Order: sequence, then C-alpha cells, then structure tokens
Amino acid sequence: MAPKIMIVEDEPDIRLYLMAVLEDNGFIVCIPSDDASVCSMAQQERPDLILLDILMPRRSGVSIYRELRSNPNLSGTKIALFSGMDLEPNMETGGFHRLLGDDTISPPDGFIPKGIRVGSLLDAVRTLLEAPTR
Amino acid sequence: MTSNTFLDQWIRNHFFDAVPICAAVIDRDYNLLYANKTFEDVYGDWRNRKCFSAYKKRDQPCGICKGSEAFSDGISRVSEETGYDQSGRMTRYIKHTIPVREPNGRIPYLLEMSIDITEANQVQRERKLLFDEVPCHIVLMDRQFRIVRANKKVRENFGEVVGQYCFEALKGLGLPCEDCTARQTFTDGKIHVGTHVWRSGLGHPVHHQVTTLPVPNENGTFDVVMEMTIDVSETMELHDRLNRAHHFMETLIHTAIDGVLAMDETGNVTILNPAARRLFGIQETTPVSGTSLTYMLPEGAIKRLIDGDERVFLPDSQIQTTTGETCPVRLSGARLQYEDQPLGMAFYIQDLTTLHQLEQQKLEAERLAAVGQTVAGLAHGVKNLITALEGGLYMLSSGMQKANIERMDKGLDMLARNIERISVFVKAFLGFAKGRHIRAWPCAPAAIAAEVVDLHSPKAHRLGIELRNEPAETDIPEAPIDYESMLECLTNLVGNAIDACQMSDRCADGLVRVRTFEERGVITYEVIDNGCGMDYEVKKKVFTNFFTTKGTGGTGLGLLTTKKIVQEHGGIIEMETEPGQGTTFRIRLPRSRLPKPASNGDAEPSNPSYHQV
Repeated sequence: MAPKIMIVEDEPDIRLYLMAVLEDNGFIVCIPSDDASVCSMAQQERPDLILLDILMPRRSGVSIYRELRSNPNLSGTKIALFSGMDLEPNMETGGFHRLLGDDTISPPDGFIPKGIRVGSLLDAVRTLLEAPTR
Repeated sequence: MTSNTFLDQWIRNHFFDAVPICAAVIDRDYNLLYANKTFEDVYGDWRNRKCFSAYKKRDQPCGICKGSEAFSDGISRVSEETGYDQSGRMTRYIKHTIPVREPNGRIPYLLEMSIDITEANQVQRERKLLFDEVPCHIVLMDRQFRIVRANKKVRENFGEVVGQYCFEALKGLGLPCEDCTARQTFTDGKIHVGTHVWRSGLGHPVHHQVTTLPVPNENGTFDVVMEMTIDVSETMELHDRLNRAHHFMETLIHTAIDGVLAMDETGNVTILNPAARRLFGIQETTPVSGTSLTYMLPEGAIKRLIDGDERVFLPDSQIQTTTGETCPVRLSGARLQYEDQPLGMAFYIQDLTTLHQLEQQKLEAERLAAVGQTVAGLAHGVKNLITALEGGLYMLSSGMQKANIERMDKGLDMLARNIERISVFVKAFLGFAKGRHIRAWPCAPAAIAAEVVDLHSPKAHRLGIELRNEPAETDIPEAPIDYESMLECLTNLVGNAIDACQMSDRCADGLVRVRTFEERGVITYEVIDNGCGMDYEVKKKVFTNFFTTKGTGGTGLGLLTTKKIVQEHGGIIEMETEPGQGTTFRIRLPRSRLPKPASNGDAEPSNPSYHQV
C-alpha cells in the first residue's frame, strides 16, 4: 500500500504543488481542512509522515507540532518540519529546542527546506519513510 | 585790726596747716622744727625727730642727702624720693627743697615740701598689669637684641627669656633674622610691622604679626625697642585653606571637559574656562563681556534666572559661536547666592557635537542593519515565491503531459497569481527602501490612535477580539507629527496585536488596547495585547528578523517601517513581552526631539484627519 503523507501548509499554491508532486509519485496525500483539525485527522488517517509548515498565520507549526507530539496515539508518526525561512543553525541538535523555548519536546524526524526541487523533495520524503520509527 | 593784719595773722597761724602738701622746716642738724598737719597725717608725730627718721624711718642721715646739698650751695632743688608713711607703707614723693636764707646770706633752715606720688604708682601698676595681661606677646630689647623685659604671655610660652637674644629665645636661631623689624626700628626710630614664624613651646611653628616701636627715654633718644606680636596662625591657616580650596576649584574648572562660565551680579564675566572658550570660539586672551555671552547662550537661559528661576536645564539646546555658527549643547545654569546675597549666575555647557554625530552614525548603522535584514527577508520572500512559481510550472507541465486541462489551468492560475504577488512585493519593498520624507504638521496625537482603532474595529470585531481606544484623561496638546506615517505605524502594531490574539490559545478573550498619554514631555503610544504564549514568541522572533509574504501582505516590512518612521520622529520603539500576559509595543516621542513642522512651502495635507491605510 502506498505511503500516506499529510500536508499541513497554509499557502494554497504550495500546498497544491506538494500534493501534485507527491500524488504524481504514488503517495497518498491527505490535507486537513483547518489548523484545528490537524490532530484529529492525523489520528483518523494515521499518515506515515506529516509535512508541517512552521510558519502559519493562525497557529504556527510549532504549536501544532507540540500538540501532535504530546498525543500518545501519534507517538509513532513521523513529522518533518518544512519552512521557507533559514532555520536556525544546528536545528537538528539544540537549535530546535531554542526555537521552541522548550526542551521537553522531542525534535522532529526531519527538516525540509522550501525552494522545492521535485527530485530532492522526493528523495527526502523517501529517506524519512525508510528510516526506522523511533 | 585791719583786714591785712588779719590776713597776715591767718597766714602765719593757719596757712601752713591748710596747704594739702607735706611741709616741714629743718635746721642744719636735720631736726624737724616745724611741720604742717598734712605732714603729720602722713608721717606721724614729727616733734623731736630728725628728717631722715620721719621720712625714711632711718637712724642715720641718707647717703645722698639733697638737704645737705641745698645747705651748702643754697639752691632750691626737686628730687624724687622713696619713704615710709607712719604705718610703714612705702610712699613715693616729689620733694622740693628750698633754702631759707637770712639777710646775711646764712642758711640756717630748709623748707621741704613733698607731694605724694604713690597714686601715680598705682597707674604704673596698672600699666604693668596691662603689659603682662594684654593678649599678645611683648618684649623689650636692647640694641644687641637682648631681651630686657618680657610680658607674662612670653614667659608662659617661652619661659624666662630675659637676658637672651630675641632670635634665640623666640625662634631658636643662632643669628638675628634677616628681616628683623627691631633692627629697622633701631636704625630709623620708626614703627615697623612684619610677619615672623616662631617656635612655640610645643615646637610647632606659630605665625606672628610683629610690630616694633622705639621706647623713648627722657632725653628723647631710645635704646630699647618694644616688640609686640599677635598670633595670626589661625588666620594664616584659614588663609592657606582658602587658597588651597581656591586652587582646587580653579584647577577643576580650568581642566573641565565641559564649558564653565560665571557672571557676577553686574554681568561681568568672572569665569570662562578653556572648554567654554573653545565652545564659543573665543581666543584665550580675548576679553569677554557678559552682554556678548548673553547673545551666544541659548535664548532665554539668562532671562529665566533673572526672572527668578533657581536653575535652568536645557537638555538639547544650542549656542552661537563667535564665527556665527551654532553648536549643539546641553546646558544647565544656576543662580548663585550666599545667605541672601546674590553672587551672579553660573552655567555648565556640554558639547553635544560628538554625541549627535554618534547618534547620527548609530541611526545610519541601524538603517543599514534594517536594510540588511530586509535584504535577507527579501531573499526568503523570493524563495517562497519561486517555490510557488515552480509549483505553477510543475502543474502546467505535468498537466500538459497528462493532457489534463484542469491541472494546466491551475498551473496557469498559480503562475499569474504569483507573478502578481512578485509585483506587489517589489512595490512594497521599493516603497520601504525609498522611504518617505517625513512632513510633520501640528496635530492631536490622540486623534491618530482614535482613527487607527476605528479602522481596525470591524476586523477585530469579526475575529471576536476587543479593540479598545484608551486616550489620556486630559487632552494632549498638538505636536508636530507626520500624521499619515504615524497612522501607518499604529496600524502595523494594531494589526500585529490582533494577529497575536488570533494566534493565542485564548483567542476568545482577545483584547487589544491602544493607550495614548504624555508624561514629562514624552508623547507615548502603547499597543497592548493579551495574545500570548510561546507560539507568538516564536512567530515574533521570526517576524522581527525576517520578511514574509504570508498573511495579510506586507506584514514583514511592517515593524521595520514602523521603527523607521518612529526614528525619523526622534523617538524610540520598545517592546515588552511577558509570557502569559501578552505583549506591549510602546512608541515614545520626546517633544524636544520631534521634527520641526514642515515649512510653508510644503503643502499642508488638506484634511489631516482623513487617511486611507
């Protein structure tokens, strides 16, 4: 069965682009109707990977990330942060905790910078999916 | 009996007794033959006594006997004698010895009349008391500077000094002093005054003012000089202390980095230190009048002190220099007075030229930093747009490959939309980079806040956020502000605050307050929201550093633009954020730093109360 990827992105054009690329390459894509339904949809759809934009006007990706991570039902779900801004240096080590201002939350499974090249995006997604679940 | 006869008889019988001086007649054997009542009152019963027995209580004639001299030469004489009265008390008296010559020239008797001068001796005692007890040192010295007499104060401080040389006894020197006033008096017979340092009984030096004067003897010459000295150590010490304090103050003023100047009550310049001369451009040797300084100091500074202000402080003012230029300064002035007595006024002037240059450089550096941040933001914004364009291209090309018209349309829409966004983006960026010339007109600060709240109220209401205008209780006087620019600033802050509430978990209780007030000449706007939490913290961090095209458009430039406008108004923008409490943005505009109102050449906005955001 094709891996399922959930896209949490408020920018409609980018959302559409990601969806098209992923679907064209055989992934199943699901998109929550709004920020508030991210967690419930994730529980319902059980995606293999969530691509989460950390800069959104209503509730930032960080807030959603915290909610997802604190839900025990979703502890096995992989999450990759996805952003157009330069993430702080060493994001994969301490930088992430500095961004959150909270070091009790475990870091995401990956970071995908925007400025998407189709090939590299698919490579990153496949690498994340193939990695063992923590 | 005729009256003459009566008088003759009275003189013979009574006159002798009536005269108030001692009178007696002696023969050649010094026997007292007659004596009057006054004599008897002083010396007692005189009958059958010799004169030396009565006058001096002696058994033998005196060694030097004026009587025997008078008997032998027949000349009347006057002598000063010492004797004893009938009670044995020493008396001093002046005795006139008058030979009583018979017609044949023989002198069988002498008339002796003596005047008691014991009273005069009392005066002498008083003089001695004065000599000893007067609160200064007195010594009498001879021509060899040997002390012949010293008063009690000298004896107390220096011991028994009579017989010693004065320079030795009083100063511990082996030779006379170079500037000896006694020597000068001995030379010219005049009074001389000088100062000397003596050793005191305790060994520390004592400063004295010395007066020397000749003590004339009977024949008008003199061999003794009286030296009177007053201890002026305390005066000298006070004088010395005053000198030191004066020197200290003078050095401080002279070397001060800030200009110091003072004028007395009549307007004469009493202090104008080198720093002040440099500030005003006045040569070191050029005299300066108070009038010229009045024109060079900030207008009204002197007048305020004359009109009764104790102090005047002008934090940001300027002076005129002699070359007609102006120099930015901070000035403080004070009226000077001592116990109700006016002493004039003093001013301290700090040159702000360097500070202003630094401020200018800082503003420039901040502007460059803002440009840097903007460029960084621009790059990220462009990256987002490129991603969207790539998306459009992907949709178009993949739609073409699949002959999927719907997908091709979506792709074209994406391309068109994002090209339009690039256009808006570039316009906004150019607008920021180019900036707008601030044109300040007097307007009511509270009106700007009121208009911003009116403009945002519908949106806030729609989102369920309360937006409240909180003007000051008392009207804030008009101030020169660029109405439109300040409106933009507050619009940005209120927009951000509404976003912050919207992002908060407690969006339902969202409250944004816009406060306007003035304190101590600083007009302040506060935009306070209760939208809080880490989410907003993170977003804020991102928003202040980076540019984004997300949301309602142009928000990333908002704070940078706001900061720039506030700076151009001479103000500052501060932010306080308390986790769990919300965020306050505060624009502080000191009136003294507000721009000058635009000149008449500039067109005044036709209706400053109406502006489109």
